[in-house]
Amino acid sequence: MKKMWVAMLAAAAFAVPSVAGAQAYPERAVTIVVPFSAGGPTDTVTRLVAEAMAKDLGQQVLVENVGGAGGTLGAARVAEAEADGYTLLLHHIGMATSATLYRKLPYDPLNAFDYVGLVTEVPMTIVARKDFEPQDFKAFIEHVKANKDQVTVANAGIGAASHLCGMLFMSAIETPLTTVPYQGTGPAMTDLLGGQVDIMCDQTTNTTKQIQGGTVKAYAVTTPERLDVLPDLPTVTEAGLPALEVSVWHGLYAPKGTPPEVVERLSKSLQTALQDENVVARFGELGTTPSPQEDATPQALKAKLETEINRWRPIIEAAGVYAD
Amino acid sequence: MDLLQNLALGFQTASTLWNLLFCFIGVLLGTLIGVLPGIGATATIAMLLPITFQIGDPVGALIMLAGIYYGAQYGGSTTAILINMPGESSSAVTALDGYQMARKGRAGAALATAAIGSFVAGTVATGLVALFAPPLTAIALKFGAAEYFSLMIVGLVSSVALAHGSVVKAIAMVIIGLLLGLVGTDIYSGTPRFTFGIREYADGLNFVALAVGVFGIAEILRNLETDRTREVIVAKVSGLMPTRDELRRMVAPVLRGTALGSALGVLPGGGAILASFASYTLEKRVADNPSEFGQGAIQGVAGPESANNAGAQTSFIPMLTLGIPANPVMALMIGAMIIQGIVPGPNVAAEQPALFWGIIASMWIGNLMLVILNLPLIGLWVKLLTIPYYILFPIIMAFCSIGVYSVNSNVYDLFFVAFAGLAGYVFAKLRCEPAPLLLGFVLGPLLEENLRRAMILSRGDPTTFFTRPISAILLLIALAVLVVVFLPAVRRKREEVFVEEA
Amino acid sequence: MSGYTIDRVNLACGLLFIAVGAVFGYQSVGMELGTALRMGPGYFPLVLSGVLMLLGVVVILQSIRAEGEALGAIAWRGIFLILPAPIFFGLTVRGLGFLPAIFCTALIASFASTRMNPLMAVLISAGVTVFSYLAFIYALGLPFRLVGPWLAF
Repeated sequence: MKKMWVAMLAAAAFAVPSVAGAQAYPERAVTIVVPFSAGGPTDTVTRLVAEAMAKDLGQQVLVENVGGAGGTLGAARVAEAEADGYTLLLHHIGMATSATLYRKLPYDPLNAFDYVGLVTEVPMTIVARKDFEPQDFKAFIEHVKANKDQVTVANAGIGAASHLCGMLFMSAIETPLTTVPYQGTGPAMTDLLGGQVDIMCDQTTNTTKQIQGGTVKAYAVTTPERLDVLPDLPTVTEAGLPALEVSVWHGLYAPKGTPPEVVERLSKSLQTALQDENVVARFGELGTTPSPQEDATPQALKAKLETEINRWRPIIEAAGVYAD
Repeated sequence: MDLLQNLALGFQTASTLWNLLFCFIGVLLGTLIGVLPGIGATATIAMLLPITFQIGDPVGALIMLAGIYYGAQYGGSTTAILINMPGESSSAVTALDGYQMARKGRAGAALATAAIGSFVAGTVATGLVALFAPPLTAIALKFGAAEYFSLMIVGLVSSVALAHGSVVKAIAMVIIGLLLGLVGTDIYSGTPRFTFGIREYADGLNFVALAVGVFGIAEILRNLETDRTREVIVAKVSGLMPTRDELRRMVAPVLRGTALGSALGVLPGGGAILASFASYTLEKRVADNPSEFGQGAIQGVAGPESANNAGAQTSFIPMLTLGIPANPVMALMIGAMIIQGIVPGPNVAAEQPALFWGIIASMWIGNLMLVILNLPLIGLWVKLLTIPYYILFPIIMAFCSIGVYSVNSNVYDLFFVAFAGLAGYVFAKLRCEPAPLLLGFVLGPLLEENLRRAMILSRGDPTTFFTRPISAILLLIALAVLVVVFLPAVRRKREEVFVEEA
Repeated sequence: MSGYTIDRVNLACGLLFIAVGAVFGYQSVGMELGTALRMGPGYFPLVLSGVLMLLGVVVILQSIRAEGEALGAIAWRGIFLILPAPIFFGLTVRGLGFLPAIFCTALIASFASTRMNPLMAVLISAGVTVFSYLAFIYALGLPFRLVGPWLAF
């Protein structure tokens, strides 16, 4: 008699969660790990998306900042996390570039994660101190090439979007320039405003307001189409340098081995979140747009990551910069 | 006229019932979380940030956030004074004399001094922000790498005065601090330095972990030495408020601290850090009786606390006028603004005058509330000191662990807390002081970064430090400080102090 | 012994400075040094290490023929119970979960003082745990897992 009770209890204990777990994901709060500190552009993007996803999932979506080592610490944390759909990662382009920048990564960017979808692609802008002489992008390139020993390029540190774009720019115009690294975007932008350095290429999240305020001079935007917030700014392709097309794309990942139906649910939720009014409006103010529905899918993110790893490998290797 | 109109708009915005309430809640929460040991301003704000997202109105949210900021800062000073546990670089200086005052039963006076000094500094600095934000920004932008390097030299040279023992040891501690500050990835080459292959240290060692370790935990260990023999470590509390004489003595330091803090706080990246250290040095230099410093001199609390708060206030300037964060706390503020739908930039003042001036007005209101809230609370904080120390240890250690871990969820930061505690204890046993070490730690990366950046920008020409006028002036100041420190007469005075202690 | 004294504390201090300088200096040499005009990552720390070792020598020289206070008692019990507390928290917060980790952390630190008795220690640790839960998890919603996978069955 006693044995039967135990058996029934055990069966109940095992049966109930597994049935409920499969059908009613999520049954508790989901955590999205941001591999950067609070307050930065990626953190902001994540918090906006998390809020909208929480509405759709009917559960809290918490944001945890696990900053450090160019985003690789947070990514490593999620790679090792339980693949139950309750720990996710929102990472940007660094997911692809870290594959080359770091020679000793504790995870394999291509095989350690399941893909949920692309979140947004933030455009980059090429800006200079406000009294930089050239008047348009063509003149700008000629000027930079002619004065390659004088021109200085600021960036926010190794692996930062501004660092990547700077490398891409030098490789596109086939001219090495003097690079001046900073500890983060804040000090780099300060020195650009103060005219201590000449040029920088950074995300619209950081530059739009400065361009509109006339405190820096903008030359081009790195997207195929012009931006709504900066309609007068030509694209790099219009200006004759298509090789400079680049964006800081953000993707949502889950640890490898997450149940497919959970990934699908998350992907649906992400797509819904990206159509949320608040998300669209806030993204717009930052000079970016949410990824369209067909990009907020596992397939699109996987393809993006593969292409981008292959794109950046030769550029980073040619520059010979490594972060470890 | 414009200014008056703007300020009127600001106060109108900030003094609606809801906004006053948000400001009050912010100050209260900031104080309550910030007062937990080992939880500094950055951690406090990061923890409380999501609460402000619940407020739909951006002005209200930012006013609350500003309140949290002041509260957190004051909370940090409170733990520095009560249990020698500074939560951020600036309150490390407050700990020097504030904690000594507490041990002598004057914790109430030290806390009141900090509150009053902060309020005066906050009022003056808020006025400065309202009046001179744009021109001050222009000056800040003139600071390039060469100027920062020279400024850091001034800071380093003056840091020697922080020590009240051997000068040689103080310099050695600064250097150890500089070396510890360099741990992490070199931003110029990507080379990991002194990380022993631990990737978690790639972004450098955690300041709060170091400060908590070398100050707070080392102090706990020292108290445990005499665990069996000593009943209470704090002398009987005498008077919660400063005496008339103490009030008189704090006037000049508060004003000087305010001036220093306001000036240095404007500089993004490192300026505000120097303010409280510089103020301490200055007060010790002009004091009638410098030997009192380190033993519980009220000027040593009043000056740096005012400088700290004035600097905190003016560090809003680059954010408000340019949208550039001067420190990690400001970066959090900018993140909060973006989530509220305001992207900070050079146009915020023109596009959102109610918000811009509302924040400025709420700075002052926040400071006022801080005083109103905290003067009565002083009695409560001081009562905490009557809790036997052996009951406080476990509580302190638990909160330290949570506080340090919560910033980046980095377990290695906690390992470093333990290491820093041990190192701090060893240094204390060897009669080496931790304050110069902390200053060196903060300045180390800035010093090297700006030195190397200046050399890159000048194309390897070292005369850049002398040919750029601001940089040259700063180097002259450094030289002057050096001369004063090593002048024979002053030297004799120092030795007297030294003998007195031995 | 008369006439020839040495301040042992300062002697130890000087040796410590030299040792720290040597550790950092040794590692700096392994890095690219560059030149004074184009400094590599090892340049600045190498210079600092050199100065630190020099100061160590000065401190040792000063310690000769000086009288000094003795080192005094050492808080061994504190070192072995206070310092491991944060380490324990770090090692277990994700495995055991927040609640057990914080309880044990406080409990370990409790025994640093000889005045503590076990009942008191458990009460204090429980109090800290409840407070931390209310403040950090319930009120502030920090993303900690209350009970970790190690305790799941």
